Amino acid sequence: MTRVHRRVAMATAVLWAVATIALSWRVLKGIDEAARSREALYRAHASQGHAPSPAFPPSIEASALASVQQEERPLIVHDPDGVELVTAPVKDADDWEIIGAVALYGRWRECALRVAAPAIAVLVVALVLLGSASAARWSRPGITALGGVVAAGAAAALTLSQLQAAAAALAPRLVVPPTLARLALPSPSLAFAALALVLLAAAGALAVSAVHWHAEAAGRPARVRETLAAWGFIAPSLAHLLVFTIAPVGFLVWISVHDWDLLASDRPFVGLAHFREIGADPSFWRALRNGLVYALYVPATMVAALAAALVLDQPLRGIKVLRVVVFLPYVASTVAIALVWQWLLHRDFGLLNAALAAVHLPRVDWLGNPATALPALMLVSAWGQLGYMMVVYLAGLQAIPASLLEAARLDGADAWQRFRLVVWPMLRPVSTYLLLTGIIWSFHGFTLVYVMTEGGPAHATDVLVYRIYQTAWEFRRFDVAAAMSVVLCALLLALTALQWRVVKGEPADA
Amino acid sequence: MAALGVTHLVKRFAGGVVGVDDVTLTVGEGAFTALVGPSGCGKTTILRLVAGLEEPTSGEVRIGGRDVTWLPPRDRDVAMVFQNYALYPHLTVRDNIAFPLRVRRTAPAEIVRRVRQAAELLEIDALFERKPAQLSGGQRQRVALARAIVREPALFLFDEPLSNLDAQVRAQTRAELVALHRRLGATMLYVTHDQVEAMTMAQTVAVMASGRVLQEGAPMSLYRDPASLAVAKFIGSPSINTVAGRSTGARFEGALSCVLHAAEASGAVLAVRPEHLVLGAAADASPATVTLVEPLGPESLVRMRLASGEELVARCAGEAPWHIGDHVRVGVAEGRGLCYRASDGSRLL
Repeated sequence: MTRVHRRVAMATAVLWAVATIALSWRVLKGIDEAARSREALYRAHASQGHAPSPAFPPSIEASALASVQQEERPLIVHDPDGVELVTAPVKDADDWEIIGAVALYGRWRECALRVAAPAIAVLVVALVLLGSASAARWSRPGITALGGVVAAGAAAALTLSQLQAAAAALAPRLVVPPTLARLALPSPSLAFAALALVLLAAAGALAVSAVHWHAEAAGRPARVRETLAAWGFIAPSLAHLLVFTIAPVGFLVWISVHDWDLLASDRPFVGLAHFREIGADPSFWRALRNGLVYALYVPATMVAALAAALVLDQPLRGIKVLRVVVFLPYVASTVAIALVWQWLLHRDFGLLNAALAAVHLPRVDWLGNPATALPALMLVSAWGQLGYMMVVYLAGLQAIPASLLEAARLDGADAWQRFRLVVWPMLRPVSTYLLLTGIIWSFHGFTLVYVMTEGGPAHATDVLVYRIYQTAWEFRRFDVAAAMSVVLCALLLALTALQWRVVKGEPADA
Repeated sequence: MAALGVTHLVKRFAGGVVGVDDVTLTVGEGAFTALVGPSGCGKTTILRLVAGLEEPTSGEVRIGGRDVTWLPPRDRDVAMVFQNYALYPHLTVRDNIAFPLRVRRTAPAEIVRRVRQAAELLEIDALFERKPAQLSGGQRQRVALARAIVREPALFLFDEPLSNLDAQVRAQTRAELVALHRRLGATMLYVTHDQVEAMTMAQTVAVMASGRVLQEGAPMSLYRDPASLAVAKFIGSPSINTVAGRSTGARFEGALSCVLHAAEASGAVLAVRPEHLVLGAAADASPATVTLVEPLGPESLVRMRLASGEELVARCAGEAPWHIGDHVRVGVAEGRGLCYRASDGSRLL
């Protein structure tokens, strides 16, 4: 390693250290405030028969009330001496009624350094080792990268164990008011800390490896340097993907195997209990079945879209205007579409029933009848998707070389044979794409259900995503909802894998 | 096999563009005729009108004596080979060749027999299970030919079938197409912008420009006696040399001069094939400066500039003894100058 590279390595280490401290700071601030509190003040409703509590200082009083009345969540405030503290609502034993508030003084500042110290130490040792390794010229890039990852992992593990030790050591100091059966303080818990630290560890490992690669890059062929540059270019989007997609999915899986109560302080690991619960829950299976039936609108719409595309592919005057009109519903807001269709399908004032009445057919309560509600939603979805599918089919049609159809005409094929033997096979990749993405999207369908039927009547339109939403936000069963999401995710992943296989199997155009 | 007759064919496109302007053309039974001309001259439109892919504004198309002007393509009994081959990418070579027979509901045993026969003729039976994407350009061309042959149509149409091939394969395929024509004895109409293809393959060449047939005849007669300046310029490579000047009746006077036996005196253009320029001390020689010498092996092309600024190219046998910058004298071989009216490009002599 040259001097410059050593400096870059040291700069990386310093950056890592600063990031670790900052992150530990943030994390510890959130983690189990109660565990690190040195005193707690509480106040309870007299009607509950609790002993009168010591009064809050006036500045805290307001914050405590606010956290009880509006937010149902902790607020960070400062007492008159400028010391930071947290106020949070307190619930009764049934976890139902808010009966008071607590204010907790935290002591997290001293913890941050303690937690970050081992991580920094491990990193510095790793850097020194790596430096000597490259000086000894026995190192390989793979070994270096592995070393970086192992070092970062060790740092993360050490940090986590320190964190847990800190939490455990401070736990007995938690002041639980004896009259309150359950002190409900939300805590982001160790999960966040673990997640953040693992991400940081990975970033540190990457940084160490990158420095090492760079140190050796001068002597390497251009191909390797190109590889490095390529990784550099994708790094920002990769980081984005990790933080905003992969990490939340990991968090979701984590929630699905824990008892996750928003206002409970302990969240024990329960394994697959939530999955067993949803497996035994008929409403989950009903939602899945509804989703499968709902998805049938996709092939039906595809047929209509292909027919529309075949018509709109003709070189007629004004055809472009018509194409735009058919496409319009796709760009309209789904909520707006839902509201308009709610009126069109209305039992008493709807256009559809007016038309039925005009030809002396009985009125149908489209959205109010369990037998017709789901088909009605499918109709609206089909109407909304038709334009998009038509445009994709149109593009597919126009990608078919004219000479191919002319060759078929000369070969003696009639219109139906041209469609069946040339056009349809040539559109197969497009159809596969539309079918699979359409089904995937149909399983995501939420807005129409939410706005038009709210899963009703009699759960006739209760689809999976709506069930997840209701479980999480109306029944407050985030853990069960997470388990459902994992099942849905697996389902969609399987569909996507299928799509990839089918698309990959397509022959390239001649 | 059947003769093709096109009478007073006119095609006016929407917007008033005239694609084909009163063309009358005959391809005899078993003949190989090439339509050649610059891009946009209407040659492909004629082909498409004959195939039935376009409808004429007026005129008549007859195949084998039958009026097919308003029949759909499938009822005309013609096969066409497209520039991009137009193979069905989702079908194997076998299924591509069998396609015309399948859509006509030929008996399966008959399909197998004829597909094998066509494939053997074009030596592509080893490629049966491949898809078009897995074939080279030359192989695709053969599959397209096999698909045309398998139906045994009355008339073959070719739309620049060789222009997507590289030079070597093109020369080879050219010879094979001629051999195929001999063996099948089929009537063929071949469209190309490459006059070399037209000259080397066809028995009759029709030169087109702006929707009209300028001249029709055997390849060498077109080369030797182009009826107009446009034909003279289009046929031959390198292109014919032209020099503007005047005809006095007995002589052409200009940057080059030569003896004429023209009846009239007028503004004229002298056209001379590169091999008919004589370098050295000819009687009517004009001074020129050599600008480039291109040795081609058996012959050399000598490019030069006349004092008046006109560029000429001469073809001489073997290695040329001149170099860039040499001053030479250039004249026209006796009786080889072609003279055209400056006004309309029609033949003066």
